[in-house]
Amino acid sequence: MFNLRDWGAGVWERSGRPVRVLIALGAIAAAASLPLLGGTFLNTPIADYGSVLVFPVAIFVIMALGLNIVIGKSGLLDLGYVAFFAIGAYTMGILGTKTGLNSWEILPIGIAMAMFAGLILGVPALRLRGDYLAIITLGFGEIVRITALNLNSIGGANGIVGIPTPPTIFGLEYTFDNHRLYFWTFLIIILLTIWMIRRLSVRRAGRAWESIRQDEDAAELMGVPTFRYKIWAFVLGASVGGAAGVLYASKTLFISPDNFTLQVSILILACVVFGGMGNIWGVVLGAIILGYLPDRIRFISDARLLVFGAVLVLMMNLRPDGLLPRKKREKALPEKGQS
Amino acid sequence: MSESILKLQNATMQFGGVVALNDVSFEIKKQEILGLIGPNGAGKTTVFNVITGVYQVTKGDITFEGKSLKGRKRYKITRGGVARTFQNIRLWGDMTALENVITATDTHKRSGLISGLFGLPISRREEKRDKARAQELLDFIGIGEYADRLAKNLPYGVQRRLEIARALGTEPKLLLLDEPAAGFNPAEKVELAKTIRKIRDAGYTVLLIEHDMSLVMGVSDRVVVIDFGQKIADDLPAKVQNDKRVIEAYLGVPEDAS
Amino acid sequence: MLSNFQDQFASLTVGGLSLGFIYVLIALGYTMVYGVLRMINFANSEVFMYGTFATIIVIRDLFGFTQQSEPATGFRLVYILFLCLIASMLMSGILSIFLELVAYRRLRNRGSNKLAPLISAIGMSIVLAEFMRILTDSRYVGSPRVMEKKSLGTFFGAELRLDNVIIIVAGLILFVSLSQFVQRTRLGKAIRAVSMNEDAAKLMGVNLNFVVSGTFLVGGLMTGAAGFFYVLKYENTSFNIGFELGIAAFTAAILGGIGNIKGAFYGGIALGLLETYASFFLGTQWKAVTVFIVLVFVLYFRPNGVFGEAITQTRA
Ligand SMILES: Nc1ncnc2c1ncn2[C@@H]1O[C@H](COP(=O)(O)OP(=O)(O)OP(=O)(O)O)[C@@H](O)[C@H]1O
Ligand SMILES: [Mg+2]
Repeated sequence: MFNLRDWGAGVWERSGRPVRVLIALGAIAAAASLPLLGGTFLNTPIADYGSVLVFPVAIFVIMALGLNIVIGKSGLLDLGYVAFFAIGAYTMGILGTKTGLNSWEILPIGIAMAMFAGLILGVPALRLRGDYLAIITLGFGEIVRITALNLNSIGGANGIVGIPTPPTIFGLEYTFDNHRLYFWTFLIIILLTIWMIRRLSVRRAGRAWESIRQDEDAAELMGVPTFRYKIWAFVLGASVGGAAGVLYASKTLFISPDNFTLQVSILILACVVFGGMGNIWGVVLGAIILGYLPDRIRFISDARLLVFGAVLVLMMNLRPDGLLPRKKREKALPEKGQS
Repeated sequence: MSESILKLQNATMQFGGVVALNDVSFEIKKQEILGLIGPNGAGKTTVFNVITGVYQVTKGDITFEGKSLKGRKRYKITRGGVARTFQNIRLWGDMTALENVITATDTHKRSGLISGLFGLPISRREEKRDKARAQELLDFIGIGEYADRLAKNLPYGVQRRLEIARALGTEPKLLLLDEPAAGFNPAEKVELAKTIRKIRDAGYTVLLIEHDMSLVMGVSDRVVVIDFGQKIADDLPAKVQNDKRVIEAYLGVPEDAS
Repeated sequence: MLSNFQDQFASLTVGGLSLGFIYVLIALGYTMVYGVLRMINFANSEVFMYGTFATIIVIRDLFGFTQQSEPATGFRLVYILFLCLIASMLMSGILSIFLELVAYRRLRNRGSNKLAPLISAIGMSIVLAEFMRILTDSRYVGSPRVMEKKSLGTFFGAELRLDNVIIIVAGLILFVSLSQFVQRTRLGKAIRAVSMNEDAAKLMGVNLNFVVSGTFLVGGLMTGAAGFFYVLKYENTSFNIGFELGIAAFTAAILGGIGNIKGAFYGGIALGLLETYASFFLGTQWKAVTVFIVLVFVLYFRPNGVFGEAITQTRA
């Protein structure tokens, strides 16, 4: 059967450096021109296509990439990923409304907060195995949401309104409906994330995660400091989730605990598995499809989540490894990126 | 030659009511091949498990190069110079043979996540060096041609040998082999015996669990026998073979049954 | 507050116990499947939710109760309640089998990606919940009162409300029957054999698909009974109650050591009591947080749950 992933990887491996740069630039240009693609067909019934592209699609892509480090790379089942997203968003919301800091100044703070939370959660939780980790992280996600819901000092159920837009750069103004500018900004974050993951995957860290995912005991006994690498995976994943949260709050300008339910964690998890766990391109594709689809099929309005659930079941039964599975090829040259 | 590298002192391992090891003491000398034999369920694998930190002994102590291994983290034991293979093969199936070994060589890398992320020269250098080293080890064990095959697709015998190469990748001083010849035909066994001697001659110390008597007796310098968790003999192969208690322990089991 | 607590302690305990039994029964649904397949049956929460609806359908549509009806009494009441219990159990049991066939079987037989069954289960869970949401127009569905919740008197200062007593007694009976079933019947023994060692059980000629279906059925029956008890106690349900109760029950299963039937019992009871006491002090909005904090502590200090197998260490 034709395998898109192998075909793509094959082309990539056969190409020399200049061709690769061209391919990469071409792909980036194509992605960047997405918001220019007008056409009423792409508009979803409730929102303009340009806006859907920013949220959910771009935000989902960022989060799915982050969660992929945790689940796809190191095999840690995190069902509370939304917590880091929420922490990033609330950092933006609180600091943005209460201090004079702007989005770009808050971004590193939000990332740091999320990483810190990842550490606090990871140290006790990562000593546990598989399903137990799942339930602890799930609980953590709920705790963060319930806390936000019940702390009136951060808005309680009403959330935070009036979050400022990012400041103008190069004369480009981030107005609420300047979707293209937002999209391009988010695209840069996406590219940075992809760069980071690819760099990490090829060398020691990537192998450590891979060995942990496949057989953690064997990894530990072959000298891999498994706990440390699991923490790293967790904290890096959290950092990406935190970044997504800051960006999200800077776009919607209004957040409330309802934006951070378990459903978000599950949706992002679904993006990762649906696209192809462990494979960056699969994950990106999964996030694009699952970000766009539910909005696009709003014409079946009420039944859209139902259809979404059915698609998940079908997909898992027909292609359990996702649309673009991780590498299955024999020939894998370790110094090249195996995403 | 006579200096000891690893010592078990009255090691006892209890699982609930089961006493898997009962007051076992023996030592391994540098550059020795020590055979560890005993009937099924005698506690041989448990010896490996307590040495490598999978379990903590309930009583007694284990010292490696004079220092106690008690409470030491498993990966630190490996870094300190003890590596093992698994009786039930536990390779990372979705990695290539070469990647399996490189992952083991990572044990001694100084570069980690951060230097990898920014592509620092140290990370590049170590990467290159260890890739070469891993290939060298595969060649040394005689499976160099399988380097780029996924571990799970390798023939059984190659997988067993890859386990050894991977353990060697951690640059151990002491190598623990858990039934490396299980499922081998006689020709393969002879080949393996050669490899084990080659490993010792390259400067490693070997502790070998094996059911095949002719293999153990042929290759070992000394043999320790355990039965029901207790040490019943510890002597030269020729003496052990004629030991009354050993013969009793194996009674009913033909001498070279595997 | 503290003296207040002392006054109410006994009554809170009775309420906590009855909630605990609801958790025990749902937790059994998770734990049995986990024992056999080593997998979180994520959609069990929806199995429970459908169980609650089955009871309401019987009360409302079969017996024609409305909000204005007089509660039933005597033999008629026993008869109605019994039918409700059976209906809920059957609904959930059958749904549970169906779930396994649709969402898991194919994946299990392929034995591929470990997370695929979980995602499939999440998908099924969404489908089931959404289907019910559409049917009920996203509303809460109240149950007409079939039974007057009168007090049967006091016991050490605890008010014994009829619904709580029924739940505790019936819950205990169900739990004991399940333990006996697992200990004594052929299917029960096969289930135990598979959960101890799947390969060995297969070698001994156990029909795995049959055992798995049986496990889902039994787990579903127990979960369905919990649905009935829930309606009896709270007199309403909605398409989204599965989530909260399911998480709590799963927590209970882990608390006691998942995969272990006795563990589900102790974990469920402990959680029911804990949650009831905690909401008394902190208010109900923090009860989920308390539960999770306790869970984290338990797992941190006793990673195997209180009765469970070792999970931080595996054999090498
Ligand atoms: N984790 C454990 N929990 C309980 N009992 C164990 C555990 N590990 C080993 N045992 C028991 O300890 C005894 C020794 O087992 P061990 O695996 O060391 O035997 P062995 O000599 O390696 O046997 P074989 O030749 O079959 O590999 C056995 O009775 C086994 O059941
Ligand atoms: Mg053994």
